[in-house]
Amino acid sequence: MTSYSPPATATAAGIADAPHRSHRILAVSRLQLSNRMSVFGVPWMILGFIFLVNLVIWWIIYQSVADPADRTDALEGLQYSGASFYFFVYMLVLGVLSMAQYFPLALGLSATRREFWFGTSLVFVLLSVLYGVGFTVLATIERATEGWGFGGRMFTVVYFGGWDAPWYTRLLLFTSAFLFFFFVGAAIATIYQRWRVNGMLAFFATLGVVLVGAAVLITLGSGWPAVGAWFASTGAAGVVAWGLIPTAVAAVVGYLVLRRATPRG
Amino acid sequence: MTAVVEARGLTKRYKNVTAVDHVDLTIEENTIYGLLGRNGAGKTTLMQLLTGQEFAGSGSIRVFGEDPVENARVLSRISFIKESQKYPEDFTARHVLRSAPWFFPEWDAEFADRLVADFRLPLKTRIKKLSRGQLSAIGVITGLASRAPLTFFDEPYLGLDAVARQIFYDRLLEDYAEHPRTVVLSTHLIDEVGDLLEHVIVIDDGAIVIDQDAESLRGSASTIAGTAAAVDAFTAGREVLHSERLGGLATATVGRLSAAERAEASAAGLEVGPVSLQQLVVRTTAGSVPAATSADASTSFDKEQSA
Repeated sequence: MTSYSPPATATAAGIADAPHRSHRILAVSRLQLSNRMSVFGVPWMILGFIFLVNLVIWWIIYQSVADPADRTDALEGLQYSGASFYFFVYMLVLGVLSMAQYFPLALGLSATRREFWFGTSLVFVLLSVLYGVGFTVLATIERATEGWGFGGRMFTVVYFGGWDAPWYTRLLLFTSAFLFFFFVGAAIATIYQRWRVNGMLAFFATLGVVLVGAAVLITLGSGWPAVGAWFASTGAAGVVAWGLIPTAVAAVVGYLVLRRATPRG
Repeated sequence: MTAVVEARGLTKRYKNVTAVDHVDLTIEENTIYGLLGRNGAGKTTLMQLLTGQEFAGSGSIRVFGEDPVENARVLSRISFIKESQKYPEDFTARHVLRSAPWFFPEWDAEFADRLVADFRLPLKTRIKKLSRGQLSAIGVITGLASRAPLTFFDEPYLGLDAVARQIFYDRLLEDYAEHPRTVVLSTHLIDEVGDLLEHVIVIDDGAIVIDQDAESLRGSASTIAGTAAAVDAFTAGREVLHSERLGGLATATVGRLSAAERAEASAAGLEVGPVSLQQLVVRTTAGSVPAATSADASTSFDKEQSA
């Protein structure tokens, strides 16, 4: 910017009353929630579908194993079920869509990038808590009904505290996991908003190199047992707590990337 | 008059094009501006810069006295409607018109409803299933009903039929009379909006080539028509912007004529008429097309128009 002071007349048309900042951030939040079906309806439909499919599988297992000891064994095995994973992937998709579809619209409605990012983050937190509570309730029911009557497990899986975790641990774990998927999805989508296809290619190439590189280094140093031991000793709660770091990094990096992005037609 | 936009030395370069090249621009309060120019001339980039959506390479921008980039105080007073506006996949027009008031403090819901009826915009159909014209109508309605003190329309009516475009012009003028504001209208349909514009800015190749009030711009050139001999006699020694010949008859476009000159032309049996805004803009921005002074002028003129 060259030094240029606007003439006095310009300030006369200047702005006397500044709009309330939080008001415009909330406007973005409302905008993100304006299609209630995709935010509230579709996720539960996906969950319901996964649940029904799993219920059938549990029923088949339940019918084919009659011995109580074997049934306990099946219950043990189901603690590694990744059935709810799809639900988290959908949250990643929602995170991506909240950028890809709403960023151009929000700026078209004269929101600032800052207002957009804060308003959207607020929605992520809100939805994470909401779904965290929902999952915690379902986990409690799952335990109370001894696995929905068939010894099935979907919400008391080992990644989220296992069978005996207290409700607040579950709530924390679920909520943190949702936050992770929302913010990581959103941060990846900001790369597209800023650098388009080239940015996406560069990002996934870098990610691939980093992951493979890490795997190679760990293998060369025979470090896999140490990695396994770390996960075992840190426990589910610890792993999710550590997971808050990439979540926070995604939130900050996403904002920095988006701050210089221009929506394109 | 009060300036709402002040740009000095504004420049924006992309990899291999200078989209906006050292632009100095002042936009006054409560005026309807036409921002005209060919495709790729830099109209959209200029508006993106003024609305803080694009970042300037160099130069300064003041909108309502402040830098517009990431400035909620400025942006809440701006409405920028662009032809290329994207909406979320599952949105309907109702979604858009319900959320717009959260962002525009001056929003008039009743006016919006009236415009929806005027444009016969279906509210419950998903936007991706709307026709191009209906899609444009959403933008036009948002831009008008937001009543932002500074409203930009970037090619707002792609696909709108003639009736709908007329409705847009009429509503814009009516509402502008009751709620004066600054409107910047970028369009290709220059003759259609000619009467609407109070000030004309023509941008070509990133630079501003005309920045003049519409009235004096219209008077800045005239056409004279008559027999070829009389036209030739009159134009001898004058700068001719354009000329055409058909048999023994000829027309020529010349610069501003004084009252005496007009009388002289009439006395020579020539007809003096105004030049349309569109013709003036085409002349100014024809660029690579050679100056149309030869006998095949009319054909080269057609090419320019269709380019």
